Amino acid sequence: MPAKLPWLRGVFPALVTPFTKDEEVDEPALRALVRHLLPHVDGFVPCGTTGEFPYMTPDEQKRVISIVVDEVAGRKPIIAGTGAAGTKETILLARNAKEAGANACLVVTPFFLHPSDKGIYQHFYDVAMAVDIPILLYNIPQVVDAYLPRNVVEDLSDIPNIVGIKDSSGNLTYTMEILEMVQGRIDVFVGHDEVVLPALAGGCTGMILASANVYPEVWQQVYAAVQEGRIEEARALQRSVQKLSRIFCRYGGGLAVKQALNMMGIPVGQARRPLKVGGSLTHEDRAEIQLELERLGKVAPDDSAYAPPDGPLAGRFAALGISAEQVKAASLRVGTGTAGVEPENVQIDLVAGPKDGLVGEAFALQLTYPRHGYEALTTILEPNLTVRPSTLIVPTAELRNLRQANMIYGPTQAAVARAIVDALEDGTIPKSAMDTHVMLVQASVHPKALDRHALYHAVLAATNAAIRQAFGA
Amino acid sequence: MSKKPDWFKGIFPALVTPFTKDDRVDEAAYRELIRYVLPHVNGIVPCGTTGEFVYMLEDERKRAIEIALDEVNGRVPVVAGTAYPSTRETVKMTAWARDAGVTAALVAAPYYLKPSFNEVYDHYDALNKLGVPLILYNIPQCAGTHYQWWTTEGMAYLENVVGIKDSSGDMPYLMAVFEKVRGKIGIFTGHDEIVPAALAMGADGAILASANVIPDVWQTIYKAVLSGDLATAQTLMARIQRFVRILARQGPTQAVKEALQLLGLPIGDSRHPMMKGDAFRREDYEEVRGVLEELGKIPPRPMTYHLYPGGPTATSQFPKPPAAPSEVRDMTLLVGEGFAGPPFSELAHIDLLIGRKDGPVGKAIERALAEPRPGHELRIIFDRPKTLLVPTVTVRTKRQAENVYEHAAGGVVMALEALVKDGTLPPALLDDIVLIANVFVHPGASNRWRVRINNFKAMKAAVRKALEGRPTFEELVAEKHSARHPFRYAP
Repeated sequence: MPAKLPWLRGVFPALVTPFTKDEEVDEPALRALVRHLLPHVDGFVPCGTTGEFPYMTPDEQKRVISIVVDEVAGRKPIIAGTGAAGTKETILLARNAKEAGANACLVVTPFFLHPSDKGIYQHFYDVAMAVDIPILLYNIPQVVDAYLPRNVVEDLSDIPNIVGIKDSSGNLTYTMEILEMVQGRIDVFVGHDEVVLPALAGGCTGMILASANVYPEVWQQVYAAVQEGRIEEARALQRSVQKLSRIFCRYGGGLAVKQALNMMGIPVGQARRPLKVGGSLTHEDRAEIQLELERLGKVAPDDSAYAPPDGPLAGRFAALGISAEQVKAASLRVGTGTAGVEPENVQIDLVAGPKDGLVGEAFALQLTYPRHGYEALTTILEPNLTVRPSTLIVPTAELRNLRQANMIYGPTQAAVARAIVDALEDGTIPKSAMDTHVMLVQASVHPKALDRHALYHAVLAATNAAIRQAFGA
Repeated sequence: MSKKPDWFKGIFPALVTPFTKDDRVDEAAYRELIRYVLPHVNGIVPCGTTGEFVYMLEDERKRAIEIALDEVNGRVPVVAGTAYPSTRETVKMTAWARDAGVTAALVAAPYYLKPSFNEVYDHYDALNKLGVPLILYNIPQCAGTHYQWWTTEGMAYLENVVGIKDSSGDMPYLMAVFEKVRGKIGIFTGHDEIVPAALAMGADGAILASANVIPDVWQTIYKAVLSGDLATAQTLMARIQRFVRILARQGPTQAVKEALQLLGLPIGDSRHPMMKGDAFRREDYEEVRGVLEELGKIPPRPMTYHLYPGGPTATSQFPKPPAAPSEVRDMTLLVGEGFAGPPFSELAHIDLLIGRKDGPVGKAIERALAEPRPGHELRIIFDRPKTLLVPTVTVRTKRQAENVYEHAAGGVVMALEALVKDGTLPPALLDDIVLIANVFVHPGASNRWRVRINNFKAMKAAVRKALEGRPTFEELVAEKHSARHPFRYAP
């Protein structure tokens, strides 16, 4: 029966490895990151999956571990990632980690080729026998493409220097199985940011997380709340970081975490290639990270104000090249509607008219002359399902980032489309207008809008009102 | 000794089951479909997967099989699907089919719950006692149960098991089946994408969804392989590979039905929850239409174009399904949308305007060219009809510029060339109309060839949709609840 390590509990960030522009390990940035996290964590994990270990040479990994050991200077324990596909290299990495001063090793399930149970057991056994250092097993089927078999874990838990397992699968049936099989002989850590609370409630004693680079204090609070039985509080905390944790876990790992740290003013550079923004992490999701960090108070919020067009309705379409006088002279159909609760409040101003008139001209011009930050797009229920009468949505405030753009081209567009089809179906918009008319919708969405569901319903209500005013008797 | 019957060879369509507007089995349409395929096939399969057997009540299945038997009247074998999840129901339906006079029963692996190998074996062992010839049917994509080769081998020894249809598309599995049971029972593939490969290895035939639509092409491929003419088989397969990939993967029931609609057969839509514009996406519809045009299955039909009400008129012919409109009443301002993907970062999304040169579209082009905006270059990329390319997203990098002005534009031009050539854009009006293609190219796009191809597809679809007035009122209303806007939800 292995001796349990008293320090093996709590919150451990799976450190990102900062790189310079030319992809070299950035020592000052790594030291700064460690100093930033030190007050909030119970230990560190360099060279984990989030640390891009498969993209580093053994020498680089050893150096990264040494830097962290030096910077921490004994104040907190260090669990070094020492995984490799083959046993020989794994042993080399574990020796390196011990020499560098790590307190334990985190050894991932052997990957790429897929050994069966015996080979997997032998791998961990050989490492444990070869290097006198406490070892944590590491199950992460998302990247290994195989689970660490639970029977193998049960047997490995009898080896004296195997002291724990990190389960990053997020599959709670597996986590519960492992807790059952090892019967407290070793500690079980959760490694999947999206299920921290249920895993702790189920019996995990700590966590190694990508997102603990960004909000370790939230995880400390979750940990404490679960320890003290305050489950409601833990739920609220977990919920507050659920979306961001999902983005970190599913869209690029260290790549996504690095974007967050850079936004927070803790420069860590970019991930090594082939990972890049625009690939595993889309530009859209990067923008979502920014917004979520604003919400958590980690970065200064966007200061743009909500200022929808006001004044008489006929005068609100000047940006589209339609003056108040023209609205009146040509008897154009106009309507407006407002709905929603800040920051999901919206104003919709709508103008409709025949294709061969002013509105038709404005329609063609908006698609020909996209104004940067005010790009117009046709209204669709979904791609390849454009509504008719053809309708352009034009934002009234400059879209400063992709996330704001997403609020317009996503929930706003879907809701305007739905309102138009509703009005076609109930006859408010005559069916004949599908061929003869076009419409322009000016959408004013609060720049801090966050809740897409609430926004969708606000836009739906406001557009309904605008259509009814424009097409009413 | 081989139990393979003489009749078990060649091309068998897995017939779709037509339903009426009020959702009953449409006997007249079913008979018409059978008459359409019959000259080209060696047998037919009612109530298979493509026939939506899982969406049909017991009486409806029986009725479909009865109609098939009656319409065929002994001219070709009728292999009826009789599967249920439970042994009890399957035995009942298979016994009924035997008494109704089917040539054989095609029995899919017991689905939904996942029986173990010995339970699967016992399922077929029970059916074996009925005395009707049985065709095993491996379709793990749907049944969730993959026969292992040793299950297949064991079942091949059951006296009434005379064949297997393997729809898995799993070639290593099929090779093991050849190894174990060739010479014992007949071997069919049921996966449209690998037919020539399976036939070349000695498969006896194929039961196919796409054989509802192109039974003649399949018959030619079958005979070519049989006679050792692999070159012909390869050439024909290359022409239909895209088509059968879509039919096999994008919800075959609705896909096959829409393809048949394109040919003018009176086939309605799939039963729910399969539906229009869902697994068989609208971009798939355009693609399927394109392949059927290339195969000459959709002949040119006339369209009359009015530049504006009371204005100049022209007539042109282009490949068009019978149900498409025959008149464009006003070309003042037509709006079309085209979307083609995946992948995400290379998707193409085009907002298209077609209009009179002297109307709102022409005016917008004149103004755009007269007042250029820095950082937002607009380009005329085609002369007849004059076409302006507008990038939706501001172009910031050299790579973006290449993707927009070279590759996306290249795709749009390819589409315009094709549409002028085939007559979709009327020759007589090419100098009177102008186009604006507002083209979305994702800033993260990498794969240049995909950008080009997706823009070709999106542009072609956008022009066709603008001229043909799609989507229709009925489509919009039918799908307003279920529409899935991809950017409406949180990541």
